[in-house]
Amino acid sequence: MEGTKARRAKVKLAFILGFGSLSIVLLFLLSLTTGAMDISFQEAMSGLWNLIQNGGEHENTKELVLWQLRIPRALGVIAVGIGLSVAGAVMQALIRNPLVDPYITGVSSGAALGATLAGLAGVTVLGLTEYSLPIVAFIGAVGAFMFTMALAEAAGGRPISYVLGGVIVSIALQAGTTILMYFNADRLHGVLFWLFGSFASLNWDSVKIIVVVVGVLSLLMLLFAKEFNVILLGDEQARQLGMNAKGFKTVMFVMVSALAAVCVAFTGVIGFVGLIVPHLVRMLIGGDHRLLLPASMVLGANILLVADIVCKTVVAPSELPIGAIISIIGAPFFGYLMIRMGKEYVM
Amino acid sequence: MSCDDELTVKVDNISFSYGAKKTLCAKTLKGITIDAKRGQLIGIMGPNGCGKTTFMRCINKVLKPQEGAIYIDGKDLDRLKMMEVAKICANIPADVPDDFHLSVEEFVALGRYPFVTGIWWEGEKDVRLVREAMEAYHVTHLKDRKLAELSSGEKARVLLAKGAVQQPKILLADEPSAHLDLKFKLQVMQALKDLSRQGVTVITASHDINLIAKYADMVIIISDGGIISYGPPAEVITEEIIRAVYGVEVMLFKEKGEIFVIPLRPVDTGKGADADQRPCEKGIVAD
Repeated sequence: MEGTKARRAKVKLAFILGFGSLSIVLLFLLSLTTGAMDISFQEAMSGLWNLIQNGGEHENTKELVLWQLRIPRALGVIAVGIGLSVAGAVMQALIRNPLVDPYITGVSSGAALGATLAGLAGVTVLGLTEYSLPIVAFIGAVGAFMFTMALAEAAGGRPISYVLGGVIVSIALQAGTTILMYFNADRLHGVLFWLFGSFASLNWDSVKIIVVVVGVLSLLMLLFAKEFNVILLGDEQARQLGMNAKGFKTVMFVMVSALAAVCVAFTGVIGFVGLIVPHLVRMLIGGDHRLLLPASMVLGANILLVADIVCKTVVAPSELPIGAIISIIGAPFFGYLMIRMGKEYVM
Repeated sequence: MSCDDELTVKVDNISFSYGAKKTLCAKTLKGITIDAKRGQLIGIMGPNGCGKTTFMRCINKVLKPQEGAIYIDGKDLDRLKMMEVAKICANIPADVPDDFHLSVEEFVALGRYPFVTGIWWEGEKDVRLVREAMEAYHVTHLKDRKLAELSSGEKARVLLAKGAVQQPKILLADEPSAHLDLKFKLQVMQALKDLSRQGVTVITASHDINLIAKYADMVIIISDGGIISYGPPAEVITEEIIRAVYGVEVMLFKEKGEIFVIPLRPVDTGKGADADQRPCEKGIVAD
């Protein structure tokens, strides 16, 4: 009977990681076959094999499309799915409020204002015109998150303060975005694409940045899964268990804001993933972060891959905005959860 | 070792006040001195806002007294790291976090946090202690249940199990029986008593004078941040002191060595009423 709990948890974890990863691989391959150009599963497989063997040298148009568009896009989708889910789970633990996610805490609206400033008002950083949109969006995201945190802490730092702080910051920033759009109505298209959330513009350069940042930060957060469990008890209880709660939270707030910001900076506003994925996982396997974080990663990647495939196929050869699709599915689902779970989800 | 007379907690003339900016409640402790022996159950009494919680927060280093010192097993608390304090001193919080789907077993295991050496999982010993603590407090059958699904009595037992699994020398319990019915109140206090008999120094605050009188070895009565009286229940709990501290007239009688207190009516001493008007006992921004 020794080690029952840890062993059971490890079996569960292995199960989730195994099946989750397998399904990610399958969806990744499926994702390569969907899009404007018709590429069959067989063509995708052989193309992928050739590309791997030749180190990215493409021999025909289909391989070019695979290499330049579909592979980086699918990798980006996986990384953003992981990043947003982990960011959601971590924010919920740090703030001790299961209702927060990158959307609620102002990250998305900060990024949106940044993107609009760059796309419409021509704001650049260090003269980097090519990447000014993601860079300014990143700065906007981190800035808005920090502002929300400061506001909430100043108001007493209770779990509800963070939600209210996020709402206030979001409303103010959205007003800024609206005004910028109002005065630049003729040039909206490029920014709208971003605001609706889209993976269409991902290329190898941006994907590399997303994958590295998401990979490093998610792994670092995984290492502290045990600490996230303790922080759920509140700062004072965590300190009494010997944890430096204040320092831990400060470091994690910085890391989680960077994680969420890099996800939205390149792909735009994709709400609900960070909120719903951790909730679903908690319902399935409970709240222990040693299970919750890795399971959220694989579930988040799966959900976003499916959503992206849907967006690419439903109105092919055109595309639906993924942010909107996720919200259309997510909102009623979350409403259903709230009603069904009753007390547990009412704050 | 002659364990009976071993001193575990020595509180030497501590004074504490929350900085003016930190809080709306200008609560202070003034010149508190206590010697707590190993295996004693110490009950703290006093009206709302008198400083009971503040005092207990000083003992586990959540708050740092501006004057005086606290010694645990002869070691200056000020020099111990939080992690070292956590290995000696456990605290039973007022409630459990129930929004996060933690199971009973996962929650109890958090008490092992100061001792876990691995990065992720608890070791064999931790797992064994968690299982034993769940058995001792009769919550084994609840181990996979979520905290939110528990009744108040079950929560109280789970909280005790989490405190016990930390294997503390000192156990702090602030109002552990506050929301419980009569039977659970007695069970919780008996559990604390049992722990004290196993050598743990238990310090508990309560508003229930009868419970304190029945179970405590020593009673501290605090009013306005200072100690009014400190000693065995029979000496300390008197009609005069309760009237002076709580502003309540009581009838007190003893039977078979036990003290029973029946409150009769509030009296106008100005004292108890004043203390009651003060804001918050909990929820103060502690640094």
